[in-house]
Amino acid sequence: MNNDNNYFSGLFGGVKSLCIGLKTTMREYFTKKITEQYPENRNELQMFDRFRGSLVMPHNENNEHKCVGCGLCQTACPNDTIKVESEFYEDADGKKKKRLTRYEYNLGSCMFCQLCTRACPHGAITFDQSFENAVFDRARLVRVLNQPGSHVAEKPVVKKPAPAAPAAKAGEANA
Amino acid sequence: MFNFQDITTWIHGMLTGTLGLPEWAAILTESIGVALAVITLYAVFAIFLIYMERKVCAFFQCRLGPMRVGPWGTLQVFSDVFKMLTKEIINLRQTDRFLHNMAPFLVVTASMLTFACLPWNKGAHIIDFNVGVFFFLAVSSLGVVGILLAGWSSNNKYSLIGAMRSGAQIISYELSIGMTMLTMICLTGTMSFSEICADQAVNGWNIFRGHLPAVLAFIIYLIAGNAECNRGPFDLPESESELTAGYHTEYSGMHFGYYYLAEYLNLFICAGMAATIFLGGWAPLTIAGLDGFNEVMAYIPGFVWFIGKAIFVVFLLMWLRWTFPRLRIDQILSLEWKYLVPISMFNLVLMALVVAYGLHF
Amino acid sequence: MTEQNEQSKPQAAAAKPAPAARPAAAPAAPAKPAENELKPRVLAPAEARAELVRLKEKEGMDYLENLTGVDWGEEGLGVVYQLENTTTHQRVAIKTLTADRENPFLPSVSDLWDIANIYEREVYDFYGIKFTGHPDMRRIFMREDWVGYPFRKDDETEKNNPLRMTNEPLADTTDSYILQQDGTITKETHNIFEEDEYVVNIGPQHPSTHGVLHFRVSLEGERIRKIDPILGYIHRAVEKISENMTYPQTLALTDRLDYLGAMQNRHALCMCIEKAMGIEVSERVQVIRTIMDELQRIDSHILFFSCLCQDMGATTAFLYGFRDREEILKIFEETCGGRLILNYNTIGGVMADIHPNFQKRVKEFIPYMRKNIKEYHDIFTGNVIFQNRAKGVGVLTRDQVISFGCTGGTGRAAGWSNDVRKHHPYAAYGKVNFNEVLRTEGDSFARYMIRLDEILESLNIIEQLIDNIPEGPFQEKTKPIIKVPAGTYYSSVEGSRGEFGVFLESKGDKSPYRLHYRSTGLPLVAVMDTACRGNMIADLITIGGTVDYVVPDIDR
Repeated sequence: MNNDNNYFSGLFGGVKSLCIGLKTTMREYFTKKITEQYPENRNELQMFDRFRGSLVMPHNENNEHKCVGCGLCQTACPNDTIKVESEFYEDADGKKKKRLTRYEYNLGSCMFCQLCTRACPHGAITFDQSFENAVFDRARLVRVLNQPGSHVAEKPVVKKPAPAAPAAKAGEANA
Repeated sequence: MFNFQDITTWIHGMLTGTLGLPEWAAILTESIGVALAVITLYAVFAIFLIYMERKVCAFFQCRLGPMRVGPWGTLQVFSDVFKMLTKEIINLRQTDRFLHNMAPFLVVTASMLTFACLPWNKGAHIIDFNVGVFFFLAVSSLGVVGILLAGWSSNNKYSLIGAMRSGAQIISYELSIGMTMLTMICLTGTMSFSEICADQAVNGWNIFRGHLPAVLAFIIYLIAGNAECNRGPFDLPESESELTAGYHTEYSGMHFGYYYLAEYLNLFICAGMAATIFLGGWAPLTIAGLDGFNEVMAYIPGFVWFIGKAIFVVFLLMWLRWTFPRLRIDQILSLEWKYLVPISMFNLVLMALVVAYGLHF
Repeated sequence: MTEQNEQSKPQAAAAKPAPAARPAAAPAAPAKPAENELKPRVLAPAEARAELVRLKEKEGMDYLENLTGVDWGEEGLGVVYQLENTTTHQRVAIKTLTADRENPFLPSVSDLWDIANIYEREVYDFYGIKFTGHPDMRRIFMREDWVGYPFRKDDETEKNNPLRMTNEPLADTTDSYILQQDGTITKETHNIFEEDEYVVNIGPQHPSTHGVLHFRVSLEGERIRKIDPILGYIHRAVEKISENMTYPQTLALTDRLDYLGAMQNRHALCMCIEKAMGIEVSERVQVIRTIMDELQRIDSHILFFSCLCQDMGATTAFLYGFRDREEILKIFEETCGGRLILNYNTIGGVMADIHPNFQKRVKEFIPYMRKNIKEYHDIFTGNVIFQNRAKGVGVLTRDQVISFGCTGGTGRAAGWSNDVRKHHPYAAYGKVNFNEVLRTEGDSFARYMIRLDEILESLNIIEQLIDNIPEGPFQEKTKPIIKVPAGTYYSSVEGSRGEFGVFLESKGDKSPYRLHYRSTGLPLVAVMDTACRGNMIADLITIGGTVDYVVPDIDR
């Protein structure tokens, strides 16, 4: 007899649980849909400001950047993503100085660990929010970040901009 | 009420009278025309159902579904079909080439034959004779041969397991389908689909007329029909998380396309049969006493009624599919043998009593 | 990406100057001894085994927490065993080694703990130490035709192993080494599968293995007779790569182990280094790390739910899970800048302070998630089909999970209280009230319910902390070049699917000498054979889904 009860209670309990499931899906049938219509929504699509799209070197309106070519970012990088080329020159006072000639960044091998931006003592590099980075040829992922004809800003900026590394990293830079 | 027989009689008259064809030639021409019409309808319905499934499923899942090709993604299925037509059919080494190629055609043939059994409108039955129900059951079970052959000839362990599961499942559930059909035949007293429909047009839909046993039979039919179509939650012959694609793992291009087509058409056939047997086929909804309403309903042509009812059932089946997880093979079999078969036997007896004592409406 | 990492790494190592010789004075010696230093007792091989037997039998050290192979150069090759008592939660470490580099043999402990079977195979694979008495001495991660043992410090990996263009061979036989009475060692070979068994490959590319994992499954009809897991398809040798990296660089790789426990993994490594160096992180960082760990746990458990539904054919519930996970990913993305690779913890703090919107978003998320958990129960938990497929399927007893070291939800479902947050509190876990969710059935349904209940428990923890984040710096000052004082250290956290531990051996350089992660997933894969035997193929999917392994965590 007990067995019979199990049979019927199992049957009705089962049917009831199925009906609860059906009710749930039917309710969701009429809720707002969550699909994002990309690329139609490109204009409204806003990435968060901390999103790491690709490494960039911001230039000001005079085509000046903040990179002095010290190569700390290159040393910090675990993947050899960054190649900094620099040269020595003599300035007006006859002092030997170093300047950046070419800053090469390979997006294809970057793992966005932020060690380079944290290592930079001048806040010269940062990540931007671009995310449409697909290209057909791997070679096009290698980017030169300093713009042609650009040079380092005349007065080296001592104060650091907001997104760059915290105070702790100043020590690392000086080493 | 629109009667399709008027059109067929007129066509026949034109062929024999106006064109002066002999009787055999007229019938031959008509047969070819009907066959073409069936195939076209078959493709059109498959495309429509695939689109419907994708949209309905998306809406259950808080998504929008296809939106990119054509307005609201309406051309998506056409592009998919086109893609499938252009894909290479890959011949595998160490398989039984002949059986491997034949299997999808068997499946598609079986489903087309059953498709032809559907009563579309008053006077629009392609295959209709006095034991139509038997014919329907017989040809619908041909498909399982195709599935078993596909599994066997693919020389793939996944395919073989999938096919064996499918065989066990379809053969078991055939029993429930037969039993529920028998229950309804008990009520209508005929095995011809056209007469079942005509009867319901006069006496009201079977599901209302037969009340409790008919509703029970309807539910059992939906469950068993879903299992016959190998659709979720009974899709374990092709359960992708276990057997990748089950019996059609090794098929590509249009050979796979045939399975895909047959799956959706079987869904429609299952729904159409439910509409025929339980929901009155092409018979309009009539409510006793509301003559004005009944008259308006009667103006809607029968095929609209039929297709509308079938799509309603299709929606029910999709709702089931997109809510439940998949069953395990032993659960599928115990559901059939421990629950559905005893209940439908009991239901058959109940219906017999109802009919014998005239307790129906 | 991974591939490129591996290819570029040797050049990187070569390009960088050799690690500076150790300075005479101990660098940055902390005032007090590091609290996570292991100080393993060193014993000769035979004595070590006798001691391990004694510890297990007499002192109740029944949980083999970790087993790490190390190459100590001149001293020899050896392993460090770490044991834990499952009642008192006392931990002990034993070290044993052999000076023979040509033919190193150590006694196996696979008869004492089931999980030692897999751990010893890993040590054999990487260091070439053969364990006498081990039933199945095969390579586990590397190709079977690999030459040499890559983790040895003197291994010429690249010279011996050019890029092979042939298919990877899969052995049908396995070896075992038996120590005879007279001290000689004999080799025996046995078959993995018999000639007439029906063996089906589940994987390496398969919809339900959750990554590139390969099971060879022997079937009897639909019933499973035996499972032989084959691992290493995506092994990236993170531990080996780390030996050539500076400490900050090693951090970037932890997010890529168990990608659903990225926060916790990185937390464990940071904590290990911080404690070893004696860096005290601020209260603020502790609380932020705790909240982040719990968010990550919820994220992981939602994905667990989703994938289980998907594997069992309930695609709709799968998408409901993803809908809710999106909310957590938004919270992560706003503060950390990443969704999967979060890159947030650093040595001595976190990468950036929490975003101004963080608290608001989290507070919105808590009631939202509580509501949706009910929906999960409606659509999936209560469903009779799921209940029938999960209840009583793949039962693991408490003794089995301890022997296999299955921590996390899988262990707790069998009644083993193993929550690191409770027994070895870290970060802010000592200050919050929460329950360790325990069940006793040990079946798939219990494992499933544990995870859903843990989501609610994690929400409770977050709720207690979110309004009480103390003020303070989010990053402590550290030395420009981080050097961990010489010693052996171990720290563990409660990851999303169990105890995630970091074993760090330092010689005082700026790179770790040996860095080993206690994978949460390896025991879970090891237990699959035991859990699945006698069940059906469909149950393999259910059991695999509910024990909840993540492949990149297994193939480190």
